[in-house]
This record gives sequence, structure tokens and C-alpha cells, in this order.
Amino acid sequence: MRNFSVRYHDGRLSVAHDAMLTLMPDHWLIHYVDPSEELLSVRWEIAPIVTDESFTGLFIFRYGDFPQQTIECRETELPVALKERYPEKVFFRKKVTGIFRQSNATIIGLAVLLIALLAAAYWFLLPVAAEAVAATIPRSVEAKLGDAMYGSMITGYEVDEEMTTRANAFVKAIDFKTAYPIRITVVKEDDVNAFALPGGNIIVFDKIVTSMKTKEEFAALLAHEVAHVHYRHSLRNIFRNLGGLLFISLLLNDINGIVTVLADNSNMLANLTYSRALETEADQKAMAVLQSDGISLKGFVDLFNLLKGAHGDAGSLKLLSTHPLTEERLDLAKAKAREQVGIKDQSELQRRWEEIVIAGKK
Amino acid sequence: MEPHYNESRQLTFHGEGAKLFGIYIVNILLTLVTLGLYYPWAKAAMLKYLYEESELEGSRFTFHGTGKEMFIGFIKAIGIFLGIYCILLLAILSKNVTIMSLGLLVFYGALLVLIPIAIHGALRYRTSRSSWRGIHFGYRGDRKEFVNMFIVGSLISIFTLGIYSFWFIIELRKYIFKNLRFGSLTFSYEGDGKAFFWLNVKGYFLSLITLGIYSFWYFKDLFAYYVDNIRMYQGEQQLVFRSTATAGGYFRLIAGNLLIILLTLGLGTPWAIVRAIRFVFSNMIIDGPLDVNAISQTEEDYTDATGEDLADMIDIGLV
Ligand SMILES: [Zn+2]
Repeated sequence: MRNFSVRYHDGRLSVAHDAMLTLMPDHWLIHYVDPSEELLSVRWEIAPIVTDESFTGLFIFRYGDFPQQTIECRETELPVALKERYPEKVFFRKKVTGIFRQSNATIIGLAVLLIALLAAAYWFLLPVAAEAVAATIPRSVEAKLGDAMYGSMITGYEVDEEMTTRANAFVKAIDFKTAYPIRITVVKEDDVNAFALPGGNIIVFDKIVTSMKTKEEFAALLAHEVAHVHYRHSLRNIFRNLGGLLFISLLLNDINGIVTVLADNSNMLANLTYSRALETEADQKAMAVLQSDGISLKGFVDLFNLLKGAHGDAGSLKLLSTHPLTEERLDLAKAKAREQVGIKDQSELQRRWEEIVIAGKK
Repeated sequence: MEPHYNESRQLTFHGEGAKLFGIYIVNILLTLVTLGLYYPWAKAAMLKYLYEESELEGSRFTFHGTGKEMFIGFIKAIGIFLGIYCILLLAILSKNVTIMSLGLLVFYGALLVLIPIAIHGALRYRTSRSSWRGIHFGYRGDRKEFVNMFIVGSLISIFTLGIYSFWFIIELRKYIFKNLRFGSLTFSYEGDGKAFFWLNVKGYFLSLITLGIYSFWYFKDLFAYYVDNIRMYQGEQQLVFRSTATAGGYFRLIAGNLLIILLTLGLGTPWAIVRAIRFVFSNMIIDGPLDVNAISQTEEDYTDATGEDLADMIDIGLV
């Protein structure tokens, strides 16, 4: 018979008795010498014994009604002895949480797994989730968000009223096949850039307009930006980026960060780089629109060439940093332009374009 | 003259960052996988470990709350919070100024009532589930009395622009310690609102003037004011708690923990927790005669864990 040294607490007084535990066939016998040197023994029936979940090398068992008696044991052989002696009762349940009692290698492995999971969630899961959220946002909220961003951004620019009016007239002559109300604002800025805000506002820098030779180039640029609005690319981009911030803020337990970023960074958020997939999608939609309106697709080829050329000498070209231009985009535009049939007369559009050009020279 | 004690005791903490890290990592993984539902079990595991590594007079403390008990409380707490947030949201969506201000009033009113209920519940549950040598801790405060006291104190604090809050905090501590039990041992808190107020005024302005350098002395003073005013009674015998924390010690703790957490992106939190507990235990001395074998069981059984989780949601930390 095997004895184990334990500490026994009777549940009534805070005396820690150094006791002996003997595993009898149908009960536990706990015997100890009490302070008055009297030998005492306590009997625990097997069935009501409760094992405390323990996270150290200490085994704790409880017995009886409140106030419960307890014994604590540090002997590592105890679990095996209990299993042999009382095969019908489970003293130590195997639990998932038991993992951390494993080796250091397991723990380090788990830590690496956790980091990998977090990284995977950040890079793959989060963008998808954020875009899914963006897709569920009602159009009215999207418009509000876009207006708020527009309001905070436009104060940083000088609006060219004349060109803005003319450009909006130009827009009216093209059917962009979208339910979003498209509003153009031309601003005086010495840079080649244009960007679309959620909800239909498009800001165009005057330098890009004055660099253009034909109405088709401008139509191509607008059709491309409108496609970004139509497919909510800008909103999705913002959510994708804010999603990461939200995630990090949650990790670091800092919610204020998100609010501050939203307020301060509408400029940055509107200038987020579109992915190649989004660019291609926008190009395809834009070409389909111009095609069905009977406008020459050569505008795309000229626009891309203009951007390529300007990139060579100007250096600072924001449009290319947000809408990455690739050889594939140029090739696609060339191929589509070559195949195109059914170009219609565009004298009305030409008239409106010339008005823009005149306004741009003022 | 300072009373002289021949007997001094200290709590010792044997926990290790690496072991706690093991529990922490499993907790995070399971909480993520279960979309947060594992949280009560995670918390129970942490508490069990921390208690088991805390020792007094050769015996370890035990926390015998279970994830299951806390889960029920967790669900109730989530329900209550969803309820009051829904009211707030509906009020805001109504776009009617009267309804909106009414909704805000209900929201803050509910919070004002929920905070003391949460503190009370958490104290009741946590103490009833903590024991040492089989003797349970306990909290005998009355919920209604505590809620009344809390609401009145909060309102006076608001109307005095926060000045009364120092007296209020001391009142709360006095009430809580008066009702705290460790078997037959009782407690009291001897702090004084005025002294606490001036301590804070001095600490705040000196920290401002010294560009924050004094704040470590300020924190040290706050810790000392908390600890030094705790009394424990065994029958007629009085025991006094004493802080030995220094500003330098505080600086090492705070700076070290900040570095650990930042450099590991939060994964080092278990080491920071262990350092913090070590700091508190090693800087708290209990002076006076105590018969550690004569503490008798006095408290009754208690199982409602709602307060524990409510307190978590309002972010109230309990030791
Ligand atoms: Zn683009």
C-alpha cells in the first residue's frame, strides 16, 4: 500500500496539518497528529471527491459540503497511483488547457502559431471582411461619408469655378451608366492627379486637363474615375486600410486612434493606391461605357501615353502612384481601340471640351 | 512614537512569466477560435494560476471559481450591456432631440447604477471563491446600501467638479474594507479624505512642474496611502499593513513593463503581470501578531458571478 504525504485542512480552522494519505480500496484515509498530540483520522468516500483544476505542480482535492475539507499534495506519482487504484473514477480529466503543462517547445510552437494566425488574419482575412462590410454600407451613408471627406479636403485647394462648371457640363454629355450622382471639381494644382471619393465626387487637378490634347482623353480619365466610384473601390480601399487600424487598435486597446485618423486623414484616405485588380476592373468598365456611348477608345491610349511621358520629365506624378500604370493596361487599351467599331459623331462633346480648354487658358 | 512589532509577514509570489505565458497563449488562441466565448474560462485559468503561486506562511492561496460559473455571469453581463447600448442607439437613430437627450440620460443613469452593482457583485464572487488553508474570504457589504452610497458620492463629485471625489474614494475603501472578511479576520481602512486630497494636489502639481519626473514619487505615495491605511484584526489584536515601495522601484516597474509590452507587441504581457505582482507583494509588509492557525471559517457559500463579468466590461480592475 502506498502512502502520500499531504497537507490537510479541515475547513473550519486555518491549521495546516501535515498528514498521510492512504489509498484504501473503497475510500481515502487521511491521518495526522493534531496539536494536542492526538492521532486523528478522516475518511473520504471516493465518489464525492472533487479534483481542483490546478496550474502548478500542486494537486488539490475537496470533499464534503461547505465548508469543504481540502488536501494538497505535491507528490508527482499521485496521478498514476490514483489511476491504478481506482480505474473506474477519473481524477484528472484531460483538457485542452493541459497543453501548457507540456514542454517549452510546445508553448513556443503555439506562440508562433498565434503570431502566424494573427498575421494571416491581418493580411488575408481582414481585407476580405472589411470589403464585405463596405459592401453592406447603404448608399446614403456612403454619400454622407464622401461629402464629409470632400468638405474637409476641398478647403485645402483653390477651386477653378469656370473649369468646374464646364467640366460638369462635359460630364452631362456622357452616359456613365451608374446610379451615383457624378460631380466634378477642378482645382488649381501643379500636379497631374485626379481622384474619386465615395458617393460620386471626383476631384481633378487642372494641370492634367491642360496637358490633354483631346476630349477622348478626358472622357477616358473620367470614365475610369467614375468606374472607381461605381464599384465602390475608394470606399473599399478606405475600409481595407481602416480595417488594419481597427485591428491594431483592438490589439493595443486604443479606440481613440481610429476616430482621430478618420478626422485627420481624409486627404490620405482619398489618395490610397488601388490594386492592379481594381485598376483593371475600372478600365474594363470605363471602356465598356465609352464603347456603348460611341466614343473613341483611342482616348485611353493617349491618356496612358500622356501619363507615361509626363512621368519621364515631371517626376512627381501622383496619379500614377494611386492608379498604377502597367504595360498590360496600355496593351489592353491599344487592343480594344483597334477592335472598336461604331464610333459616333461627338460634335456636342467636342464643343463642351473646347469650352473647358478655353477656361483652362484663362 | 511608532509602535514596535516583532512579527512581520509578507506574501510571496512564485509565479514565472514563462509559465503564465503558456496559459496566456492557450487562452488567446481558444478565445479567438471561439469568438470570445472562451473568455470566462481563460480568466478562471489565469486567476487560478496567479492564486496558486501566491504564498503566505508556507501555504498557497486557491481560487476555486470555474469558467462555467463565470460564463453564466458573462452572458448576463453581455445581455445587460447590449440592452443599454440598444436604448442609446435607438435614441440616437430617432433623430429627435428630446428622445436623444432622454436616451443619453437613461444610458448614463444605467451606467451609474451598474458600476456599483458590478463592483459589489465582483467583490462578493471573487472573495467567496478565494481561500487559504481551506478558509474562505468573504464580502458582507449590502448591495442597496453600496449602490446608494455610490450614486450619492458620484453626483456630489460631479457637482463639486471632482473635488469631492477624493473623499468619495476614501469612503468607498472604508466601506469595502469594513465588510471584507478572511474567515474570522476583519479589516478596516483608516484613510482620510482631506489628507488624500492634499496628497493628490501636491503630487499633481509637482508632477506638472517637474515635467512628469515627480510622478514616480506621486505613484509611490498613492500606493503607500492605500497600503499603510489597511488594518487587519484578529480578535483584539490589530495588524498594520506597511508599504516599502520607493519611487525608484516604481520607475523600474513602469519603465520595464512598458518596454516589455511594446517590444513584444503585447505578447510579453505575462512577464509584465508577474513583475507587477512581485512588486506589490515584495513592497507590502504586514506587521503585528497573528495566530495563523486560529483563523476560523465564518463565511457562507456564494455562486453568482455576474458582477465579476460586469466589472470586466466596465473595465474595473480588482486586486
Ligand atoms: Zn484607377
